[in-house]
Amino acid sequence: MRRAWFHGAGLHTSLGATLSDNLDALPAGPPPPGMTPVPLGDSVEAVPSMLLSGLPLEDVETRLWRALEPVVEAALAGSDLTPAQRARTALFLGTSSLDISVTEAIYAAALKTDPGAHPLMTNAAMGGLAEAIARRFGLRGPDYTINTACTSSANALIYADAMIREGLIDHALIVGLEIFNVITALGFQSLALLAPSGMRPFDAARAGLVLGEGVSALVIGATPGPSGFHLRAGANLCDTHGVSAANPDGSTVAAVMQQALDAAGLKAADILAVKAHGTASLLNDEAEAAGMHRVFAIVPPMLAIKPFIGHTFGACGLNELLLVCGAIERGCLPPVPGISAEPGELGLMLNQTWVPVGRGAFLLNYFGFGGNNTSLVVAND
Amino acid sequence: MTEARIAGAYIKGWGDYVCEEGGELTDLKPILKATLGQPVRRIGRFISLALIGAARCLEGKTPPPDTAVYFTTGSGDFEVTVEVMEHLFRDGFPPKPLSFINTVSNAACFYVAKSFGLTGRSTCIGSRAFGFETALQLALLDLKMGTIRSALIGSADIVLQPVAIHRQRLAQAPDAPLGEAAHWLWLTADGEGGALPDCRFFASREDLMAWMGGFDPDSTVLGLGEGLDDDRFSLSRTFDYRTGRPYYDSRTAAAPSAFLTQAGSGETMLHVSTDGAGRYAAFTVRR
Repeated sequence: MRRAWFHGAGLHTSLGATLSDNLDALPAGPPPPGMTPVPLGDSVEAVPSMLLSGLPLEDVETRLWRALEPVVEAALAGSDLTPAQRARTALFLGTSSLDISVTEAIYAAALKTDPGAHPLMTNAAMGGLAEAIARRFGLRGPDYTINTACTSSANALIYADAMIREGLIDHALIVGLEIFNVITALGFQSLALLAPSGMRPFDAARAGLVLGEGVSALVIGATPGPSGFHLRAGANLCDTHGVSAANPDGSTVAAVMQQALDAAGLKAADILAVKAHGTASLLNDEAEAAGMHRVFAIVPPMLAIKPFIGHTFGACGLNELLLVCGAIERGCLPPVPGISAEPGELGLMLNQTWVPVGRGAFLLNYFGFGGNNTSLVVAND
Repeated sequence: MTEARIAGAYIKGWGDYVCEEGGELTDLKPILKATLGQPVRRIGRFISLALIGAARCLEGKTPPPDTAVYFTTGSGDFEVTVEVMEHLFRDGFPPKPLSFINTVSNAACFYVAKSFGLTGRSTCIGSRAFGFETALQLALLDLKMGTIRSALIGSADIVLQPVAIHRQRLAQAPDAPLGEAAHWLWLTADGEGGALPDCRFFASREDLMAWMGGFDPDSTVLGLGEGLDDDRFSLSRTFDYRTGRPYYDSRTAAAPSAFLTQAGSGETMLHVSTDGAGRYAAFTVRR
């Protein structure tokens, strides 16, 4: 049976502009978030955020492409595709906010000269950005824009993997993209879900999330890649408990984790470590913790990536996967010292020291608005 | 070429809503209440349209709870996104929490799933030229792999006032009729009768032509998708469902039900669209 192996990758987050830079930054521990000023009418709102390193929030209309191009180039360059393979490569863009940052900048500029200007006069098509990426990089395979909120790029990986397994395509470029934008920033501000002091998943002192920026790219192909990692299985289910929160009893979270394990042909005890979604919000951490206890009689080592890079929403699926896989390849699971150091009311501890880890299977969780729940099982066996 | 071809993707049902909009927009609330049997609170036009189309597709039947939802749209919830942007940038107000949450296009998937008791996988997917084909292909792929046994595949596109401005957003001529629409299909792995056996993408016209050579011109009609106005390929009989229909982004999603309504038993439609840059998408519908 065909598998889809991980090949070249690129990653730009607040930790660094390359995947290697990101991994090098993990030992320093989660950095404190910054506060980004966002004009709103006559006032300015300060929003806790972790923006892309080395790419100031300037010239917003071009900033998205300045972030995106080097990351995609790195993934393609690391994959040794022939020109013919590259031309046939399919594109899977996983993003929550698409290029809304560009649309916002255009509208804000238009309002300065015309108070009656209308928003969304350009960049309105949901598939427009993916088509532009495909054209820019000479990809003539089909392009798919997956827009399932915070599970977007995780779901993009599931479908790219399935198409390769079925022999429909030989290579896929998966892109995760989340660029700072005012709607997301002030939307989460209005939901009172932002935490200026940083993200503390599952911790008694958790107070919400920090906006993260991230751009990631991964080429997967039907032949083994340099890392040996592949998606062993994935699952996606809809939780109809609420449009913005998972069922707090953990049943729906447990269901998607169990379905991923079943699809992978594994038992819970086979999982070496779990990467939590861990948004550090009161309700969603409660649901994820309850789900973990339903699935795991003994909870394996748990790690959380969002304290390092913030919540990168639609891109978090791929961003966090690349960081987890990269850290495992370097031999250890990264800790978050001082965050959920003891099993509190939710009964979960996060990894506190650099834990050596070998080959095996790892579970990664992602949950999003719209009741979209996804679990991935990746393996380097 | 990428393809998804399966033995069983049987058409269990279909449902449509299409309405040309030129002035005051049609009030969807009574239509939604009549179709669904009850009102749905705190939703706008986009989610209402998605629900109306899905309810018409299901016609009161109850799909299995693990039915998956595949949803596409040209531009998502214009209404709520424009409202949020105007509040933020023109008026200087933060977004309302629910408006912000509903800016994610997959909120429509959530309301469809919740309204019909579905807990299977749920995907909002887009492609500028091939939105419906991408949703269909993923559904066929999941059916083929046995990941699912039942799928709802749908689309929704709304119109926003002023309509003249909305025409500009959609790059349509000043006199082009615009429409609001939702189209849904219910496919199952088991069944009989009509089917959607195949959905493929082609990087070039040559690839498409090579594949089309295998179809019997006596029993196959060419569905004239977007961008195909002057291109008839090797099939002499054509099926035109776009003439006389107002413009909306996901118009391709109308093709299966339009064909099924008019076709004779045993006929096949081979529907082809192009993105204008030499890429093609094709799917087949068998009556």
